[in-house]
Amino acid sequence: MSIATGQGTAVLAPTLKSKRVGPLQRIYNHRADYLYVLPALLVMLIVIAYPVYYTIELSFFKTPPNLQMKDKVFVGLDNYATILSSSSFREVTMNTLIWTVFSTLFAFLIGLAAALALHREFIGRGVLRALLLIPYVVSAVAASYVWKWLYHSDFGVIGALAVQFGLTDKPINFLDNLHTVLPSLIVVNVWKEFSFAMIMLMAGLQTVPEQLLRAAQVDGANAWQRFWHVTFPHLKSVSMVTVLLLMVSNFNSFIIPWVMTGGGPAGASDIWITQIYNIAFGRQRYGVAAAYSVILFIVMMTLGYFYVKALTRGDESRAG
Amino acid sequence: MAEVVLKDVVKNYGAMFAVNNVSFTVADGEFVALVGPSGCGKTTTLNLIAGLIPMSGGDIHIGDRLVNDLDPKDRDIAMVFQNYALYPNKTVFNNLAFPLQMRKLPRAEIDKKVQSAAKVLDITHLLERKPRELSGGQQQRVALGRALVRDPRAFLMDEPLSNLDAKLRVQMRSELKRFHQDLHATVVYVTHDQLEAVTMADKMAVMNGGFLQQYDTPANVFANPINTFVASFVGSPAMSLIPLEVASNGTQTVLQSSEGWELPLSPINARKALAASTKKVVLGARHSTLKLAKSAVPGSVPGKVYTVEPTGDITFAQVFISGAVVNISLEPSVAIRPDEMVFVEFDQERIHLFDGETTMALTL
Repeated sequence: MSIATGQGTAVLAPTLKSKRVGPLQRIYNHRADYLYVLPALLVMLIVIAYPVYYTIELSFFKTPPNLQMKDKVFVGLDNYATILSSSSFREVTMNTLIWTVFSTLFAFLIGLAAALALHREFIGRGVLRALLLIPYVVSAVAASYVWKWLYHSDFGVIGALAVQFGLTDKPINFLDNLHTVLPSLIVVNVWKEFSFAMIMLMAGLQTVPEQLLRAAQVDGANAWQRFWHVTFPHLKSVSMVTVLLLMVSNFNSFIIPWVMTGGGPAGASDIWITQIYNIAFGRQRYGVAAAYSVILFIVMMTLGYFYVKALTRGDESRAG
Repeated sequence: MAEVVLKDVVKNYGAMFAVNNVSFTVADGEFVALVGPSGCGKTTTLNLIAGLIPMSGGDIHIGDRLVNDLDPKDRDIAMVFQNYALYPNKTVFNNLAFPLQMRKLPRAEIDKKVQSAAKVLDITHLLERKPRELSGGQQQRVALGRALVRDPRAFLMDEPLSNLDAKLRVQMRSELKRFHQDLHATVVYVTHDQLEAVTMADKMAVMNGGFLQQYDTPANVFANPINTFVASFVGSPAMSLIPLEVASNGTQTVLQSSEGWELPLSPINARKALAASTKKVVLGARHSTLKLAKSAVPGSVPGKVYTVEPTGDITFAQVFISGAVVNISLEPSVAIRPDEMVFVEFDQERIHLFDGETTMALTL
């Protein structure tokens, strides 16, 4: 309580003071601070702001395939119209949504289960924790190649095991089948990123006060009730942040589908970024690819808005 | 309410014994304080009674039931924690209702019980608030309410007042005492503050190093501390202890200081001192039994003033005697200065003698 009050006054004091001086005066008072962040700002202008601007500009042009950008022709919103009216856009968006929602959901749930399991003390906990972190630290390209072989219809271990245990008569063609390819890739993605959710939630679990769990135990709550009434409410903020970060990263996924299927077969595993890459560097239609990127950019910024909002709300509830 | 009986209770982590053969009985409706310094095993003992950690040995009875293998929820106890342990996402009402909801009481009954507990603790106007919107004292009341609402066999309290500021602590102390008297509740109360124990408890269990040192009424513990640890722990300021050696100067038994002086003992005290296992004897005296003189009087020993602490109605002086610090309370009008040489007079009727080797009190 007293800490919160302390923070409150600390925040309040500069606000009161700033009312008396003008904005120019305030900038002048902090001139050294601005100088310090200037290099970082310049770098960001070059590597972020300019590409964003240039992408938006390109999205209004028809671009020649030979990269002679001086020959580009202004077409207004035609590129956007082309994308939004194409049937592939709807398919790819559906794929992306399925990919993102299921990857996020399962990565979160499995990460939560792993975090809860690792939160208890048992022999070998440290080793298990290290093992479960491997997927997250392994190179995505390397992992994708390994999984590609695991799924292989002729030499894959997964298919062989399925046959051995009598689950199927002959190995399943995971990656060449329109219906199994996306779920198969989602499995790889979940395997790759559940560790991230696990780390975040393990950190969150550290903040659950031991005394609260004991109080609940004395009050008569069983293990599930303790989780539901004490642990889970404490994980709310960190869960929101984790889910949003996972969603952003999944909307931006590229490596796993690109390496394992290249978006195939017949676009069945094509998602936004692989599609944009195909349009730009496969079909050399930079203008369309730029317009596609802008649409994606708007979606991501909307998500980012909610992400920041969730973060700041977490801060407020801690301070209050 | 019910009695709580501990018999030879042990809790060890490998070779480390947090609680070592502790036995005591809390009678029905009695308020017992477990006191001791940090790490003495008092909170572990409380957690063992609650069933929050498994026992290594011994038996615990609550009422007529042996609870050794029972889960906390089946022991029918209520607990109040140091930092209140209120559920932050629940309103005060739901915090109070939680133990009843877990026991699947009908809604109307829950409502009735919560309202009546809230009324007793004067928190009815807070029922819709979240814990973070409450002051420390209010949160403490809610924590108490959550324990109270269920009418348990015993209340276990783990330093419930130590997070409150000094003024509120004194106020809540009297409220807790009143609450105990009104409800005739069986209370086991852990505190490191011996003053809380002395003021509130019917009996106090002084613990140190996992062992129960003394279990008696505060008055008896204060008057007859069983060993030097209890003597130096109970009382504010604590009893002063001076390590000396027993000797005879031909006619009389005396306590001898390495500084060269001798303190003659009364016949009774002489017999006590001679009963010590070695020549080493610790002389104990409470601040109020000592007198300060500017010049030597019979039965006094020399010392040097270390600090003088006026508190208003009493001034405490700390005096070095034979290398030990001795607390003496004085009238505020007595004028002494640090580093002044003084003489301290002992009251033979009210001194305590301890065996220097075993630290146990010497008695006849």
